[in-house]
Amino acid sequence: MLALLLALHAVLALAAPALGRRLGPRVFLVCALAPGATAAWAATQAAGVLDGSATTQVLPWVPGLGLDLALRLDGFALLMVALVSGIGAVLFAYSRWYFSPRPGLGRFAGVLTAFAGSMLGVVLADNLLLIYVFWELTSITSYLLIGFEDEKGSARAAALQAILVTGAGGLAMLAGFVIVGQAAGTYSLSGILADPPGGGVVGAGLVLVLVGACTKSAQVPFHFWLPAAMAAPTPVSAYLHSATLVKAGVYLIARFAPAFAAGHAFWRPLVMGLGVATMLLGGWRALRQHDLKLLLAYGTVSQLGFMVVLVGAGIPELTFAGAALIVAHGLFKAALFMVVGIVDHQAHTRDLRVLSGLGRRMPGVAAVAAVAAASMAGVPLLLGFLSKEAAYEGLLHAHLGVGGSLALAGVVVGSVLTFAYGARFVLGGFGAGFGESAGGGDPVGPDVARPAPAFVVPAALFAVLTVVAGVAPALVDPLVGGGAGALDAAAGKAHLALWHGFTPALGLSVLTLAAGALLVAGAGTVERVQARLAGAPSAAGVYSSALVGLNRLADRVTAVLQNGSLPVYLGVILLTVLALPGLALLTRTRLPGGVVVGESPLQVVVAGVVLAAAVGAAFARRRFAAVLFLGGVGYGVAVLFVIQGAPDLALTQLLVETLAVVIFVLVLRHLPERFEPSAWRLGQATRVAVAGGVGVFVAAFSLVAAGARTAEPVSGAYLEQAVPEAGGQNVVNVILVDFRAFDTLGEITVLTVAALGIVSLVQAGRRQQDEA
Amino acid sequence: MRALIALPVVLPLLAAGVSLALHRRPAVQRALSVVVLGATLVASVALLVTVERSGVAAVQVGGWPAPIGITLVADLFAAIMLVISTVMVLAVLVYAIGHPRTRDHGLFFHPLYLILATGVAASFLTGDLFNLFVAFEVTLGASYVLITLGGSRDQVRSGMTYVVINLLASTLFVTAVGLVYAATGTVNMADLAGRVAELPAGVRQALGLLLLVVFGVKAAIFPLFFWLPDSYPTAPAPVTAIFAGLLTKVGVYAIIRTQTLLFPTDGSPSTLLLAIAGGTMVVGVLGAIAQNDVKRILSFHIISQIGYMVLGLGLFTVAGVAGAIFYIVHHIVVKTTLFLVGGLVEQSTGTGALSRLGGLLHRAPVVAGLFLLPALSLAGLPPFSGFVAKLALVQAGLAVEAHTIVAISLLVSLLTLFSMTKIWAGVFWGAPEEVPPLEAAAGDGRLSSPALMVAPTAALVVLSLVIAVAAAPLWDLSERAAATLVDPAPYVEAVLP
Repeated sequence: MLALLLALHAVLALAAPALGRRLGPRVFLVCALAPGATAAWAATQAAGVLDGSATTQVLPWVPGLGLDLALRLDGFALLMVALVSGIGAVLFAYSRWYFSPRPGLGRFAGVLTAFAGSMLGVVLADNLLLIYVFWELTSITSYLLIGFEDEKGSARAAALQAILVTGAGGLAMLAGFVIVGQAAGTYSLSGILADPPGGGVVGAGLVLVLVGACTKSAQVPFHFWLPAAMAAPTPVSAYLHSATLVKAGVYLIARFAPAFAAGHAFWRPLVMGLGVATMLLGGWRALRQHDLKLLLAYGTVSQLGFMVVLVGAGIPELTFAGAALIVAHGLFKAALFMVVGIVDHQAHTRDLRVLSGLGRRMPGVAAVAAVAAASMAGVPLLLGFLSKEAAYEGLLHAHLGVGGSLALAGVVVGSVLTFAYGARFVLGGFGAGFGESAGGGDPVGPDVARPAPAFVVPAALFAVLTVVAGVAPALVDPLVGGGAGALDAAAGKAHLALWHGFTPALGLSVLTLAAGALLVAGAGTVERVQARLAGAPSAAGVYSSALVGLNRLADRVTAVLQNGSLPVYLGVILLTVLALPGLALLTRTRLPGGVVVGESPLQVVVAGVVLAAAVGAAFARRRFAAVLFLGGVGYGVAVLFVIQGAPDLALTQLLVETLAVVIFVLVLRHLPERFEPSAWRLGQATRVAVAGGVGVFVAAFSLVAAGARTAEPVSGAYLEQAVPEAGGQNVVNVILVDFRAFDTLGEITVLTVAALGIVSLVQAGRRQQDEA
Repeated sequence: MRALIALPVVLPLLAAGVSLALHRRPAVQRALSVVVLGATLVASVALLVTVERSGVAAVQVGGWPAPIGITLVADLFAAIMLVISTVMVLAVLVYAIGHPRTRDHGLFFHPLYLILATGVAASFLTGDLFNLFVAFEVTLGASYVLITLGGSRDQVRSGMTYVVINLLASTLFVTAVGLVYAATGTVNMADLAGRVAELPAGVRQALGLLLLVVFGVKAAIFPLFFWLPDSYPTAPAPVTAIFAGLLTKVGVYAIIRTQTLLFPTDGSPSTLLLAIAGGTMVVGVLGAIAQNDVKRILSFHIISQIGYMVLGLGLFTVAGVAGAIFYIVHHIVVKTTLFLVGGLVEQSTGTGALSRLGGLLHRAPVVAGLFLLPALSLAGLPPFSGFVAKLALVQAGLAVEAHTIVAISLLVSLLTLFSMTKIWAGVFWGAPEEVPPLEAAAGDGRLSSPALMVAPTAALVVLSLVIAVAAAPLWDLSERAAATLVDPAPYVEAVLP
């Protein structure tokens, strides 16, 4: 069934482009079937799964590489499915209203459905490599979705940024998975977590996995791609960049932490440290944004940091709190993004400096925004409050020493910031201007068209759920408890509660709300401090200069290596010959003893002539002279063949040489008389040196190779069998036409090809002359 | 059985002769090429099945027993290469028939194309070092003419680079064969396997390195690659596609064959090969990043990916070599496809320059889809064939703790993705209005391409998906092929019983 649900996503994704042409925006309702069916089916499994049993399915894929389609629905997977498919189905319905009919919408719906399926795969996969497969599929679909409005350069750049950052992390993660998997002897996630491997290599592997998780979940210093990804249409931002995709990293850390946090000293400082830093940075930056969507994006960064702190600790109470926060965040943030979408759709702006009095125009939307933001800020009677209380409670009792206290302090400060930017969102978006509306343009608000009710319903649904779960924690407690219990059995024993009594955690909650309210009151001061710090170096800056640097490096390297000069290319090949086999020959062999310089004085004389002609060819300044010298070399070699007693070879050589000289001379008519002096002077010494070196190399190698032979050569068999077996007196002929006739067939083919080539070029030349 | 080994060489060669005689009847010429290459494919598949069932097969040409005559040998590696290359040859042939630029040159195209197929098949099947030289010459000879087909000024100029570099490599090759014979007294590869092992270590190493340089030029490894990006992009699209898919891989095949059969390491990874692999990957991908033309970007990627194949070989484990084989198969399909798509883009828009293209996603969505899937596969993204190939190499590399080269290979795959997004964003994204109007556009602004060009491209895209989905059997096959390469006793035994 699990695989079937994934397949349903794939089928609808493929069908969507065609459906989109017929149905227009209603195609989203058809596509909603996939996440809808998944959520419904998951609900039927909930009772058993949340009690601790798991539904599994395994289809082999490439067993030889440990890659199987292993799917497993346990409590935590169910919690994630509730987000991915439950929230997903609602967002698909919302998209039907958000989009006006336009070409390409079907394709968009298809990619969105493909994303929903990929994300479902990430949380269901029970094989590390399969997680990576789905993980990268979410990267690819995210790339296409961010770049949906591809005529905008900013959308293209944001899409690229997202896929490069998460892709880089993904590759690190792949290496990490393979390292951990090889150490464990299995790639099964449940198998590894049940019996975690140890050792230094595994530590390195885990760090690589964390890199992947942190890029995906926008942790410092990789957070910058997320705000830029807001170039995507708002349903994408709501679905991918708040509810699901960015939680993939959190999901992975949550899975790994209970098994590995205690065993590796680096884990908690690294993971919780990054989480706190992300929470603070995101919250601080959110306070500076004027675009409601960007404000939410930085808010998401901050909340992701919060989640990483909680689930990354690997401590049962915190794991439980993390699971609660994941659910709470999924609801309130999706609602907030949908609100932004409604505002953008109706008012055609998201700038809180311009928006004014929208609350009076659309009070329902404003109420949804207020409830969702309050949940985010941790106001009591809302789901967000419950998760924050659980987090404070857990951190107070975590026994993590100084680090734990720092984490608690960081989380409290982060929550104060969260309250402040939540208020900024509501007051800025729906209030009567947010103190700083001096930002140019006429205020937009009172005359904005009211949204269709069906457009608001999905967001309202989430707001209602937030309230209901906040008032009656028992409703959501099984889901959170069952989810946390699947990560860490001890975490499943905790419970959400509205009232813990007068505990230190409650005190911290009160402190958070009070300090947050102060921060809202002092918004002006915060703005001024922000403005002063704006010039600080940022990770986004590092990214763009890295990109520029990469392009420059590529240009330089290529310009040097690929310079287009044929002589240089040839020189490099010959130098490689000298550097590799040449060096081996020089250092690891010696010339055999008893080398005979020449068998007759005539040989020595002719060899001297050949050498002299070769040197002459190399130094000739006129082309004609060079050709003649070359001819001299060839004829000299022919004479050597004669002396050696090979008249047939000599004859061939003479013919070839004569033809070559004649053809060269004919060609010379079309070339300048002398070689170009500049090229001549500069490169000549090098060329002579390289050519001479290669000549010496070949000569020396011939001596060494011949001297190394101990085995009987096959030529003996040729001589023996030529007459009796092949019936030929001339052994060379027998070799050519019988023993190795297949070679000769090939060479004849080459000649035919050469002839065709000449005809082809001549014809082309004629045609060009005709055209000219 | 014996005939099966020879058929992939003999069929296209005979057909080439007939095709030449038929040059006044282009329709018959085309039909002949399709039928014969189809038959060759059938024979290749039959050969693969036979070898898979009953082990390495060999035939002594002319009945002269090895090492006197020439031996054709089909082991699993050769059979796999033969099948996948014949599929490419056939698919590109259909594409070429639909392509206007090759249709005009039927006289030369069809016979030469068949000879090219002959040379490639012979290179895979030969068990004789000198005959490998001949097979290379046949392949190269045909390629010299094909690359200058049409004979425009640019083509002849870049063809010149191609020809001269390859002539130098051929000279070095024949020199190396001479030296090998001088040292061992044989050129039969199975025979050489035993005799080279008996040579003094220094001589053996020098011979191995010389052959590595020779085949390295053909395979376009670092630092011997420059000829490729300068010469490939100017040829007609189908010619570039088949060159890109097959020719460098023939070089890689020869490297793997000779290095495993004749110059095996003592079982430890070869630092030199891994260094070459790293250099090849990095330089190739940087070159791709620096380009602004579809065909040139793709050409540099060939180089980069040769590095991955050399990486698998350099590990000298069964897993590594199997990874290399899987990678080669994947790469041949995907690379050919991408060049065919590049040809579709050029054919429908008249250019391959990124600066002059844009918005094709809206005007030719099918072409966009045909590009996107193999492009992602090329970058090694799941769930495509490139991912399985990359995964195999990463696992093999980490298993022998070759951390550096694995890290480089992963980094390079990110850069590959980067340059693929450059094509995607440059060609397929963007506002259509920004692009100058084109004559090929139909009334609704959509661009069309001949069905004969689109169909084979789509078929290859599907093939690459099949390689990913049904990766298990191919992986098992690659592993078994690699086992025979790492321990070539069955190969030697089949040739010299």
